[in-house]
Amino acid sequence: MHLTDLDLLFWAAGFLAHLGLLFVLWYRRRAAAFPLFTALITLGSAQTIILYFVFHYGTKRSYFYTYWSLTMIDTMLQLGVVYEISSRVFRPLDVWAQDVRSSFVWLMGLSVSVALGLSLLASPPAHTWMHAFTYKGNLFAAALMSELLVAMLALAVSVRLPWRGHTAAVAKGLGAYSLVTVLIETGHSYFGGSRESPIFVFFSHVRMAAYLCCVSYWIIALWPDEWAGRTMTREMREKLFTLHARLEYDLNHLRSRNKL
Amino acid sequence: MNTHNLYFVAAMGIFLVVLIAIAGYYYSRGLRSSQAGWDELLAKLARIDRDNIAQVALDLVDESGRPRQSEDAANLEPRQLWRLVGGLEGLELLEANSEVLIDMAFYVQQWYPEAIVIAERLRLDARELKWHVNRLKGAAQKGNLQVSFPFYAQHAVATYYLMTRRVLGLYEAGNFSMLAELQKAL
Repeated sequence: MHLTDLDLLFWAAGFLAHLGLLFVLWYRRRAAAFPLFTALITLGSAQTIILYFVFHYGTKRSYFYTYWSLTMIDTMLQLGVVYEISSRVFRPLDVWAQDVRSSFVWLMGLSVSVALGLSLLASPPAHTWMHAFTYKGNLFAAALMSELLVAMLALAVSVRLPWRGHTAAVAKGLGAYSLVTVLIETGHSYFGGSRESPIFVFFSHVRMAAYLCCVSYWIIALWPDEWAGRTMTREMREKLFTLHARLEYDLNHLRSRNKL
Repeated sequence: MNTHNLYFVAAMGIFLVVLIAIAGYYYSRGLRSSQAGWDELLAKLARIDRDNIAQVALDLVDESGRPRQSEDAANLEPRQLWRLVGGLEGLELLEANSEVLIDMAFYVQQWYPEAIVIAERLRLDARELKWHVNRLKGAAQKGNLQVSFPFYAQHAVATYYLMTRRVLGLYEAGNFSMLAELQKAL
């Protein structure tokens, strides 16, 4: 496989962007809040180095297996990041909001079904079953990720749980990138072709450019601290929580009467 | 392009357009909601006769929001309740207002993140109110509204009344300048 100057430029830029984002995540102490996201970015950096060495010193076969193994881990971590975002949005008081659990499970089921349906509909012009499976698998993962992120956004707005700060930045970046990958995987599934074909190279470049934009956005968005807000005075807190506790007790009483 | 590929490309096109449309709609809705100013929030509150609401709620709970003893509670006649609440339409107005009350708590949360406890509670109360209203809508479709109305409507109104007390308590605790306007509106 021949690498052009543009390929090398994308590789180098991607690696540097990942290092930059990792620096932001650790130096600005975002890694503790987003461990799975940090793991995803760490894998992204490691992926570049590992693939570079396998490409230069390994066989075509070893590159193929390394590439797809890393891609599978990457997809699992992306799903983990979706979980990380949802646990920050839908657990406002450190427990899952009671009213979103069923909607969330229902939306997940719908997303998996639609992604599965679309990937079954695809008939990529592949020579081997493994190539066909790879194309379909990539399409499934891209469709599922984009659906889950859009579903989470819709659910959060519908149930009025705010989606803001660093969580919103991570979700927006990943959501936008997922939508681009759906477009790219559609192209791959439609055109097929080997890794050397011009259309495959074009799509790879579009994907890398989109990902670079996304990483740059994360670097900018995750650098500043989130608005910490003001701290309530002791008097304010006491007033508020006394009222809250009393009304809570009263509502529970009403609810128990409701059941009678 | 063979027929199968044509279906695939069409399906993917529709999928992407629908997904982007949903994302755009909810993103702009979320943005509008988070950027709403105080006047805008206040304007969203539908005018409701608070004396009627208080009368219905106070038939179940006392002035402080504490539930009345069972022998004193729920003395209103179904016909009186229907008139005071304004029927199903009146309850739908309460449902819409309960959403604004949540936004009002989120408005405070912008400065005081600790107010999330109240906002989250209000959110769950609003879901409960919605549940009561939906039960009544279901009953209306089956022709059982007259039977179900007194029970569900009074509990929905009491929930709404306690929600207004939570929001007023929040603004009072924070000593916010908007308290007077809020008291007037609620």
